[in-house]
Amino acid sequence: MATQIVMDHTGDTRHYFDADDTKALSKAEERFKALTSVGFTAAVRTAAGEVTVTRSFDPAAEETLFFPRLVGG
Amino acid sequence: MIAQRLLTATRPIGRLLAEWARKVQALRERHRELFEDTKEARGVTLLREWLSPEQQAQFDADRYFDVIGCDSGKRYRIRYGCSTNVHEIDGDGRSIVGWCFVPTGNLVAGDVVLAQKIALETNELRALAVANRFPVEVPRRS
Repeated sequence: MATQIVMDHTGDTRHYFDADDTKALSKAEERFKALTSVGFTAAVRTAAGEVTVTRSFDPAAEETLFFPRLVGG
Repeated sequence: MIAQRLLTATRPIGRLLAEWARKVQALRERHRELFEDTKEARGVTLLREWLSPEQQAQFDADRYFDVIGCDSGKRYRIRYGCSTNVHEIDGDGRSIVGWCFVPTGNLVAGDVVLAQKIALETNELRALAVANRFPVEVPRRS
């Protein structure tokens, strides 16, 4: 089961989907595009634990984390 | 005789103490359940999931962890918090300068810290470009 984790005021919201299910995958891609288009950054973890930022939807990603745009504090 | 009377007299106090202890235990359990379900606790759980093993150990011990900027190779110390919590540090772990940048939205500290970590490790220059720099107090050497 793949996961998209979106940071929000509740801590985070997790969306689980079956990457083998075409419909679910399409919905996950839509979510990816919707979030990144409003400034969220998408990060994925490799199996080795290394974190990378991705600009395009990766259907093979097991876990994608979205955090909002950064601003000066 | 006196001992017997004392025993009889203190029996209700013992019952009261036992009852009080049960209530305290129940309150503790309730507090634990509530705390584990709070958004702050969820933020910390997410943060710990995304930290490297070294960072996790550091965070568990000191409530901060170090990251290496992907562009400059500089070391930053991120403390658990929501503002003025990122310090650039030197080789001896002393703060050089502070950088203040946060994700928008009303996020919990664990989320803020995790976003700062990922930003510095994957796009340091962009993160610093939006950040506000602030001076930090450097302890004087004796």
